[in-house]
Order: sequence, then C-alpha cells, then structure tokens
Amino acid sequence: MKRDIIVIGGGASGLAAAISAKKEEKDVLLIEREDRLGGILNQCIHNGFGLEVFKEEYTGPEYAYIYIKEFNELKIDYLIETTVIKLVRVKDEFILYTSSLKKGIQKYIAKSVIISTGCYERTRGSIIIPGDRPTGVITAGSAQRYLNIDGYMVGKRVFILGSGDIGLIMARRMYLEGAEVLGVAELMPYSNGLTRNIVQCLNDFDIPLYLSHTVTRINSDENNRLKSIVLQKVNNKFKPIEGTEKIFEVDTLLLSIGLIPDIVLLDSLDVEYDKLTKSVRVNQALETKVEGLFVAGNALQVHDLADNVSKESERAGYNAAKYVDNPKREHKMIKLLPGENISYISPQYIDFAWPDSDIICSFRSKSKIERGLIEVRQGENTILSKRRMYIVPAEMETFSLKIDALNNTQDITINLEAIK
Amino acid sequence: MYDFIIIGAGIIGSTIARELSKYDVKAIVLERENDVANVQTLANSAIIHSGHNPEPNTLKAKFNVLGNKLYDELEKELNIPILHCGAFVVAHNKKEEEHLLELYENAKINNVPEFEILDYEEAVKSEPNLSKNTTKVLSLPTTKVTNPWEVAFACMENAMENGIEFQKNAEVTDIIYRDKHFIITINNQTKLKSLAIINAAGVNSDDLANMIEKDTPFYIRPRKGEYFVIDRRVKGFINHILYPLPTDAGKGVLLTPQVHGEILIGPNSLYIDDKNNKSVTFEGLDYVRKNAPALADNIPFDKIIRSFAGVRASSNLDDFYIDESKEYKRFYHLGGIDSPGLSAAPAIAKYLLEDIIKIKDLYNINKNFNPYREKRIEFHRLPFEEQHELIKKYPTYGNIICKCEKITEKEIVDAIHSKLGSNTIKGIKKRTRAGSGLCQGGYCEEKVMKIIARETSRSPIDTLYDSPKSNLFKAETKVKE
Repeated sequence: MKRDIIVIGGGASGLAAAISAKKEEKDVLLIEREDRLGGILNQCIHNGFGLEVFKEEYTGPEYAYIYIKEFNELKIDYLIETTVIKLVRVKDEFILYTSSLKKGIQKYIAKSVIISTGCYERTRGSIIIPGDRPTGVITAGSAQRYLNIDGYMVGKRVFILGSGDIGLIMARRMYLEGAEVLGVAELMPYSNGLTRNIVQCLNDFDIPLYLSHTVTRINSDENNRLKSIVLQKVNNKFKPIEGTEKIFEVDTLLLSIGLIPDIVLLDSLDVEYDKLTKSVRVNQALETKVEGLFVAGNALQVHDLADNVSKESERAGYNAAKYVDNPKREHKMIKLLPGENISYISPQYIDFAWPDSDIICSFRSKSKIERGLIEVRQGENTILSKRRMYIVPAEMETFSLKIDALNNTQDITINLEAIK
Repeated sequence: MYDFIIIGAGIIGSTIARELSKYDVKAIVLERENDVANVQTLANSAIIHSGHNPEPNTLKAKFNVLGNKLYDELEKELNIPILHCGAFVVAHNKKEEEHLLELYENAKINNVPEFEILDYEEAVKSEPNLSKNTTKVLSLPTTKVTNPWEVAFACMENAMENGIEFQKNAEVTDIIYRDKHFIITINNQTKLKSLAIINAAGVNSDDLANMIEKDTPFYIRPRKGEYFVIDRRVKGFINHILYPLPTDAGKGVLLTPQVHGEILIGPNSLYIDDKNNKSVTFEGLDYVRKNAPALADNIPFDKIIRSFAGVRASSNLDDFYIDESKEYKRFYHLGGIDSPGLSAAPAIAKYLLEDIIKIKDLYNINKNFNPYREKRIEFHRLPFEEQHELIKKYPTYGNIICKCEKITEKEIVDAIHSKLGSNTIKGIKKRTRAGSGLCQGGYCEEKVMKIIARETSRSPIDTLYDSPKSNLFKAETKVKE
C-alpha cells in the first residue's frame, strides 16, 4: 500500500508534522524507534515548554502529551519500536525499509517523506580534550536520560563542559538530586545557552559559570574512573593561558558541547549538504533537492526551543500535503546567503515553485551584538531592514519575507551589523 | 599442575594459546584486564605490514613476512575480517625517492613477495585523493588491515574450543620456582602450578620477568602513539594504507582504512615514562593533524568521531626478544613486541613453540584439534533474504539497538553469552561494534546496559563499563530510596 506521507521520528518535530499533514486529509504514517511517542521531550522533565505555542508553561512530557493527544484523536497511524534502516527514492516514490522485533524487516512506500529524526550530541571524540579516557565523561543528554527515565545518577561530584542548554538544565537537575555541581565551563566569552537557563539553573543555585575557560586535562584513577579535571582560562584565540590552571576533583564530567542534526538516513539520497547547519539545504517549504523529501526540526537545524521545532515541523507537514496534491512543479530557485556576522541561514533557497509557502528564515549571529541591524538584500534592493536588540549566538533569530517582493533571478544576502 | 601458563591475552598471548591448543597440553591464559585484547592490541594501526620496513636478518623482518602469509590461513580458519587493501609508501621529491629505492631494496632482501615503484600518475588512478605533491610511491600489495581484537578473540575462542583455559581479572602478583615447577600467585590469593611459563605480558613483560629473574635481558621503553578516527561514512576516501617514509621514530603518521570502514590517522611516537599513560595530548594530535596532509589532499577532519592513544611495548633492544630465560629453564619471554608485532604474531607463536620450546619433542599432537571457528554474524551485512530467514528463527535480529552501526539485540545477546562472552559496555562494543559509530554510544549505551543487566540478572547499578570497578552509575535517584 502506498502512503501519502511517512514521517520518520515521533518527537516534537514528527508529531507536529504528522498532525498538520493529517489535518490536510492525507494518509499519514509515523515511524518511531523508541517504545513511545514524544522523543527527547520525555526526558526533559523541567518546565519551560509551550510558552511560544500555547502561551502556557509545561514540562517536556506535558508538552509532548498535548501533541500525542491530538495525534491520537486524529487517529494517525504509527509504528513504535521500529527503526528505518534504509530510505531510497525510486522514480517518484520513496521506499523505506524498517526493522522491528514484532514485524521483522518491512517495506513501506510513500509519495512524500518528512525527516524528523532530531539530532545527536557531540561527544568527546569531536573535540580534543587531552588526557585519559576514563568512565565518568558522558554527554549531558545521556546523563539526563539515565537520571530522568531510568533513575540512576552517573555521578556525585560533577563538572560541566559547555554551556549548552542541556548542560545548564543538568547542572540544576544533578544539584537537586543531591550531587555537588562544581561549575560549568564555556570556551566562548558568552554562554551558549538561553539566558533564562543561566539564571534559573546556575545563578539560583550558586553554580559558577566560567566563561572563556575550557577543560585542558582529564585524569583517571586506578580504576579508570574520572578523578579530576584541569580547568584553564583561554585567550581570544581560544588557546589555554599558562598559569591559570585550576584542578577540580570530580567523578563526572558532563559534556554539553553542541548538537548535530541526525541525517544519516539521507545517505542514499541525492541531497545537498550545508556545512554551516551540518544538515541539508532546503527551500522555504522545507523541501530538499529531492522533490517530496522534507526535513524539519532539529534534523534541519538545531533549535533552542521545542516550540520552534513544532512550528517549523507543522509547516513541513502542511507543505508535504501540498506536495502530494501537486507533485509536478516548475522549480525556479534563488539562494539565501549568509553575509556578515551570520553563522548560518535556513532555508538556503527560495523556490518560486512554492509561491504560497511562507518564507520564514532563521539564522544565528556569529557574535554577541547589543544593538543589531538585520539587512536583507537582493542585488541593489534592500528588502528588509530591521533593528533588533541583544542578539546572541545562543538564541536563534527569525524574520519573514514576502515572495512578491523578490525577483526570481538574483540571490539574496543577509547581513547583520552592530550599530550604535 | 599445568604444562603451560601464558601470561597476557593480547594478540601475542592469544595467537600462542591457539597454536598451543594444537598439542595435547594442559594450559591456561591469565589476563590482568577484564577482557582479552584490552591494551596494546586495542589501540594500534591494525595493519598487517608486508615486511618492507624492518632491518634485514632480524626477527622482525623474518616474522613480519611470514606472519603476513599466515594471516591468510587464519582468515580462512577463524573467519577474521581482513581488508586486502595494499599500501603505498609516498615520496615527494628526489631525496625521498632515493629513500624509497632503499626501501625497495630492503623489501627485496626481506623476501616481500610483491612490490613495485609507481609514478604519481599511475598511483593516483587507484588513489584519487593521493597528495598532488607525490612524485613516486612504493606499492606493497600484500599489506592488509585487520581488526586486532577480533583476531585475538578468534584465536582465544578457538584455543578454548580446543581445551585451553582462560581467566580474566587475573593479575600475576608473584612467581616462584620450586622443584622443577613454577608457582604463580594471582591477585595475591590463588596459586597455580605450572611446568612452564610464557611471558606475553606486553608493556608489563619486563615487570613480570623481574618477579623472578635477577637479570632480565630487556626492559620496556613504552612508546605512545595518538590517533584520530574518522567516521566510516567517508569510506572510499582512501583505498590503500598510505605511509610516509619511515624515520628513526617509526613509520610516521599514516592514513589507514579500517576493516569496518573508518579511517585512522596517526600515530605520532613518543617515549613515555608511565606504561599506563594512554592519554591524548594537544601536541600529539596536532602533530598528527599537521603531518597527515602530506599523504592525501582534502582529508575530512570534520568527520572525526574519536581520538585515542595506545602504548607500544618497545624495548631497549632493536629487535623482538623471543627466548627462554637464561636463569630459569622453561620460562619464555616475548619482550619488546612492538610494530610489526601484530603482523608477526602468528609467526612468533609458531617459532616460540616449534623452535624455542621444541614442543613436538615434548607433547603429542591434539588429535581433536578443530582449526575452524564459526563466522560471527554481522546481520546488517547480510542480503535481505538471509535477514528475513534469520529473523523468522530469531526475532531479536529485528530489534536494532545501535542505530549508527545497525547492531541488533540478538548480536548483543550472543556477545554476552558466547564462549568468550563479556558483560561490560566496552566488551560488547569490541565484540559487536555497538557504540562505535557517529554518536559514540549516545543513543545505544543505555539500551546495551539494560540488555546486559537483563541477561546477567543483575541491577543496572552493577553494570560495568570495563574494569570490575567501572560502574556506570554512582547511585540511584532519591525516589528509589
């Protein structure tokens, strides 16, 4: 049986995408690897979810439940404990192979596919931390899962490297659970987490944040368990400054050093990669170079807020439905290019084959800017000029464009300027 | 009373154990670590060299060339993974080309079976990312890559199948000689008696010898090497092992394709004081990163998933030291087995037993010796039809635990319960590759932990990463108390 749309992943992104596609009266199947829907939201037992979408504050599981409830009410088909092992495109169809304990290996066919596979955590391997390789060095998200889902503490004396949001949340969580949290180190001169998390997770608990610091040595004890770390201040070229070494005796080092979109499933498809987002390039409909293949949520770009994941994925679901209605389109694309001070921009293309699709652009700045001017240019024309206060790399910025204001031949550049 | 006690279950101890199991002997292998192949065998370049490099007329030269051939036999009998990729030694200018010619002559003297010098134009056809600054290469088609710990597992498993005993977490704390036999103390407690001892203790082989010898004929000068691992999704970036020209410090920084698709970059080479120092350093990894681009252009450094360091058991001597003790008959040393130790291992095992021990004069052949070991099922590599058939029989093959490497529940359960099973996260990773991929266990470690706990009927709080005290968790949450 051929499905209209298959959504891969049942977290914040997949749920929202499936719901909006189903509302357009499409035949939708969602495939989830774990034994329940909700994804990483299930382990995020802290509050702070829902403010953007519902104007109410929920915990992660509560936020997920709102979507799961609607998902069930819409009677959307789904599979759990099922891993998609291969995704290929044959002519104008997608073929998915799945593997599960209950059904073994199965084949599914779809007209359109939405990738809602989220992201994975950067590990110690992706950065160089000199020293031994003991147990007790673990990513913050893994520690969060062990603590909140399984009920186990990975350590009692904890230091955290990286001020990403999961790290900050885990600083508070470990503290509340009775661990000693000795500090959080951030290589950059500013935090990589949301301001509210710095306040609510560190300041409220007197946990020190060491900006422009990094861990320069990991030492293990005779049982190959973490014994201590060396913290060092870095200069403006991120090189450790001699004489600033501080030793912390800890049994656990949590790593919160970034997230990477998980798009391994796209290996066998002819997509275009973007080094800046570490994902694939899409147009404003969130469609990749492969027609009918949509990517949304943290698989497309790492978001700060689950709410934004939901909103973006809702658009992917809606657009996938529109694609199913009208798969043959004349593509005419221009590029959206990151200019000065912009570390990445999403989407990377504007496709005039999608005239009705909103153009919602997200970007991050390369540095902290107190007062900024966002300028969007197409050739000589300034299409958008917007002042914005307090722009930081840790917080994603968005703006929208109208397709009517654009010509379909010239690329667009986004610049961010610090003004007085 | 044992006939033999082998101390150390690295590649050397394991290949010797397997060779020994061809004879009618009572023997045991003692390993200090919580697993076979946990030190030097776990952290090296994984190359089976052709034998072009060692000084002629050394044990290194002889056993490297011979060992390389013997791996073809092991491949058939034990189903170990081997990548027959060949190697290029890369020269960039006239001076290096002269050096390349010397190596060519060296290969000839060492009886390397096939080799030739190729121009850049010829070499680049089969190695598109070869550095454009290359002028000539020495092509060594018999060079290959294996997975060293899989070889050690295979040998040890086969040895056990044929009657050899194995004990892990067994550190030898004392050796005494009395009435024509040795008495070995393990962990300051248990005592074992044996007529002969084989010292295959790697970096600790001198310490072990010093327990009984007054004048140990060698000492270990540990040499550390640091590496990067690049994700297997770059498979095909290089097709051969790429060597720079060797220096006194060793073979230099190499690019090595691995049997499962990753690429290793490294190592550097540094003498260190502490044998247990397996730390990576800024300087070491920086050296590796700076030197690798001489071999290939556009190295995908952005796809690095891991860095690690290994310690080589180099000694004060230039060659392997493989001999009977001068002070104690039937005490045998395998000292200073650094590169090309992995390549030479099967030949060393034969030499030790046949030429040094003269085992054929002492013991009968084991008539029941079974040289074969069943192939470990790598489920994701099988064709769909075979997968379907297997899932019908064993549904847990359908349950994918490690998403990155597509490792199934059945493979993990088998690794726990196999003859040489393991109940640690690292042991399972070594046996199945669960946790070896892009996310480095971020997704699957929890699942593996739960399967281990279930299969060994213990609480997750008691599950180990590696050594007996390396518990994953320090406590349960307050709610549970």
